[in-house]
Amino acid sequence: MNRTFIFSIIVFISFSGAQVFAQPEISPERKAAIDSLALEKVRDLSKYISIIGNKETPWSEANRVIERTLELFMPGSQMGVSSLFLDEVKYYGIREYLERLMQLNYDKVRIQWFNIQYISDLEQQPDGRFVGVITIFQRFEGITGDQLVYKDTTKKDITVYVERKQTQIGGRLIGFWDVLLGDVRVTETLP
Amino acid sequence: MRKALLIGSFLFMIAPGLPAQSIGSYLGDEAILMAQTKQVNQFFRRFNCEESPDGKRYYPGDSLFRDPDLRNRYISVLFDNQNANITDQIKQDFIRTVNGRENPTFLDFHGGEWFAEVTTKFIYRGTEMPLTLFLQLQEEEVGSKWVITNVYFEPFSKLFFNSGQNGMKFLHPMSHELDFMNLIHVFKDKNEIELYTSREYHPDFLTLFIYEVKNGNLAFKTVQQVKFHFFQVPDWYFELVDFNRPAANSGWLIANLLKINTEEKELMLKFIYHE
Repeated sequence: MNRTFIFSIIVFISFSGAQVFAQPEISPERKAAIDSLALEKVRDLSKYISIIGNKETPWSEANRVIERTLELFMPGSQMGVSSLFLDEVKYYGIREYLERLMQLNYDKVRIQWFNIQYISDLEQQPDGRFVGVITIFQRFEGITGDQLVYKDTTKKDITVYVERKQTQIGGRLIGFWDVLLGDVRVTETLP
Repeated sequence: MRKALLIGSFLFMIAPGLPAQSIGSYLGDEAILMAQTKQVNQFFRRFNCEESPDGKRYYPGDSLFRDPDLRNRYISVLFDNQNANITDQIKQDFIRTVNGRENPTFLDFHGGEWFAEVTTKFIYRGTEMPLTLFLQLQEEEVGSKWVITNVYFEPFSKLFFNSGQNGMKFLHPMSHELDFMNLIHVFKDKNEIELYTSREYHPDFLTLFIYEVKNGNLAFKTVQQVKFHFFQVPDWYFELVDFNRPAANSGWLIANLLKINTEEKELMLKFIYHE
């Protein structure tokens, strides 16, 4: 049972109250707890991306981390990437995006995350799940030898799906809020 | 005191003309990113004064929830300040309308009267071409979803015409006695078929679009630009556009602002839909 899952259970126990599996109303307190859980996933994503992009990470380890990263996402999620000089979105599957990141031809890759994020409201979609978007900013630097040969800053708008699930613990069915990441819009920006 | 501090810190963040910071100077960068209206969701929240300057949600009962003073400052920085057409006078008129003490107007995500215009690229019969999709939020029994309501595509538009010469070509009123054998004349010139339709006829580009996609003649390639048209504030229209630039005045901002009456609203909608 990983840390995120335990956190999900805590989110449920702390804020679900008596309405175990009724269609949920998301109170401000519950929303704050779900936001924390979603940010935890985004932090996991950022950590994994840094590991995958780091040239010092062994190939086998990078591949293992790619698998872990994919577990954060809904199947079929896409990265939609645009640059300052190309006014259109290029689409990549998450695995393809991560593999391209792994294969970048720099001696060293430095990925830093700005200490700022924006979390939208959660909106319910017709299948009952909730959806929101977390916006973060990332600076990427590619270094060859001692030279900084490429740098960009991107805004990442990350879809977050929030769903009530249930699991059996000690013979009891326990409901909990689960968070999965979805499509990610990556926009090159000029900070 | 707390309110004054918050407003002060926000005004610092949104100070115009903050230069782009060089790499490694994260503090300056973050101030700009903080000021930027990063999501349409944030535009709604700022417009309504439903969040703190650092993005923390205000809820009903919070002291600054929809606070008129803070809201005035929020709305005043939600305009594209590089657009000379949005004069200070029109901004002030607009702010007075939406943030009047008597009858303030708030934007409602589920309130209708706003829609998206998405410029895309499609491959049409082997050639890459721009195509505009119009989408609006539709409420469902559970939740809501964006739905495509209209399409503008130049090849469709060129296919139809508004000649206004309805009197010149017609099926005469005794055609029925001939078992409509004179239809032979109608279809001789395929470019003028519309002249034989009722005056209520209006080409439905969305149906054409779906037909062409299903037949494999149109294939989606990419999204190029997104903007939103708002008619939620009575007697006003504004356009919301994402400005990606190194300034505090960036992100989702009001790019066009017009005071319009009902008749002008209809004209504006026709203009937007290319009708």
